[in-house]
Amino acid sequence: MMKDLKNFNKKVILIVLLLSSFLNAKANDTSNLYKSCCEKHSNIFDFDEEFCDTCGCGSSGGSMGYGTGLNNNFIGVRYIRQQYRSRDGIFNDSPWIQENFNTIQAWGNFPVSDRILINTIVPFQFHNRVLPDNTEENISGLGDMSVLVFYNVLKIKPDSIVSIKVEHYLQIGGGIKLPTGAYDQENNEGSINPSFQLGNGSLDYILGLNYGFSYRNWGVSTMLNYAIKTENKDNYHFGDQFNYGVNAYKTYYLSNTVAVTPIVGLAGEFYGENKEFNSPVANTKGDIFLGKLSLETSYNNYSLGLVSMLPISQNLNSNKVELKNRTSIYLNINF
Amino acid sequence: MNNFKIALMAMVSLTFFSCDNEDDNDSSLSGTGEISVTFDNGYDGNDLILDVANVANENGEALTVSRFSYIVSNFSLIDTDGNEYVYPKDDSYFIINQEEDLEDVTLADIPAGEYTTLKFGIGVDDEKYQEGGEVQEEFWELAEANNLTWSWTAGYKYINYEGTFTSETITEETNYKIHLGRLGDQVNYEEVILELPTNVTVSDEMDSNIHLEIDASKILTAVTSLLLSEDAILMTNAEKAPLVAENASEMFVVDHVHNGSGH
Repeated sequence: MMKDLKNFNKKVILIVLLLSSFLNAKANDTSNLYKSCCEKHSNIFDFDEEFCDTCGCGSSGGSMGYGTGLNNNFIGVRYIRQQYRSRDGIFNDSPWIQENFNTIQAWGNFPVSDRILINTIVPFQFHNRVLPDNTEENISGLGDMSVLVFYNVLKIKPDSIVSIKVEHYLQIGGGIKLPTGAYDQENNEGSINPSFQLGNGSLDYILGLNYGFSYRNWGVSTMLNYAIKTENKDNYHFGDQFNYGVNAYKTYYLSNTVAVTPIVGLAGEFYGENKEFNSPVANTKGDIFLGKLSLETSYNNYSLGLVSMLPISQNLNSNKVELKNRTSIYLNINF
Repeated sequence: MNNFKIALMAMVSLTFFSCDNEDDNDSSLSGTGEISVTFDNGYDGNDLILDVANVANENGEALTVSRFSYIVSNFSLIDTDGNEYVYPKDDSYFIINQEEDLEDVTLADIPAGEYTTLKFGIGVDDEKYQEGGEVQEEFWELAEANNLTWSWTAGYKYINYEGTFTSETITEETNYKIHLGRLGDQVNYEEVILELPTNVTVSDEMDSNIHLEIDASKILTAVTSLLLSEDAILMTNAEKAPLVAENASEMFVVDHVHNGSGH
């Protein structure tokens, strides 16, 4: 069984990686095409990518994290819905545009060896926004994929050994976010949300750190990540992004096969100023601080998660953009 | 596992390859580009909506604006070396009209470069006026169609700002009319100089936009407080016209510059 699973892992990873390099090359070749057909895109990957870079580093996970907040290996599907609103105009009383960012992603944490694991996210985005005159704009398509490699600094104890001591884990890693999601300059005009895109159009580098500990069925997990963004083909450069999150959880075993884990957490995101042709773009910096409540239910090695995040405080794009809420559902197979 | 590692390395190197060749933007700007200037009319921080009452201004007077149009002219740009590019004078007269949604000025064929400062005037300068009617027939007709003219001898209205107001003493909605123009030898043309918060860049490959926020309430408040309850009709008042002109020259603020994509 274990061996089958490993083979399966390998195949999945290979497919994902090959697909991503193929699509990456393709995206570079066809960016003009995207532009000319006026396709609207954006890309939000994870929960956090909204506006300053709704798209950009989104795939890397933002404060939502690359994982579930629980320290485990899995492959699964996650749906994320984010509701924002942004000002249509420069005035204090300019009307709001309602924005809905939807992402379905294949995601996983795959162990490569005792010490090394790979995290990948392949998102598909479908976003829409309703302008003040009630016209609707929709964009959909592949988002920006990310691949990260994490190294377990501390030796991992086999699962089968139940410890009554506090168990720590520390993972450091990094990776890349590929410009596989289309970036359309046309979506980025005027004073409206520059992040209504499928992707940010740039190759970005991500540094990540996960630390946590568990004691019996209690646990705490923390994560930090930093996305270094680069200029895209349209000379637009989304600002770097820093995300952090802290979660606390407790697992209740309802039977031999069923367990329920409520998770509470806090998360934050900081966005640097965007640049266009090396000139700063006004009203693109920002930060947001969020509360998180989630519940993971597992049955054997399947787990179903429900996550909701609400802003506690925010200052995005000089308050011209506001996050209303984020919700997410995932279905994973753990291994 | 080995296969996997090879695949991983292959993929990573592919990624770097495919992304390395994208830095073709050598920053030498060449040719010419277009700069558009958006005059986004507002009122004390809010959007200006005609026929909708605004909050009281600093003078305690609440205006409902029904008409707001004006002439902007003689555009020039100062680059990072301090050189001034003067837009061809014959093409440098434009009308902004809130009733007709005329809010954009398009300056074509601007020499490639980075500019730090935008200059323009409100109204029509003396030199242009002295050219006489025949030379400027086309612009005169345009101005006429936008309620920005008196008779030819009296000349253009630089600003046409009309509506109703109430104040502490005048509680009934009362008409006001502010028409700024030249009064004989008093030209009342004012120059506006705006330093840009971000340099505006143009080239063959880049058209850019300067987005201005206009605060119409400044016409009565910016430098000198002008009370409508004292004078609700300001047209030929040679004492107050220069004060209106000076106030109006303060109503322009750069909200943002958008490089590389028009608006």
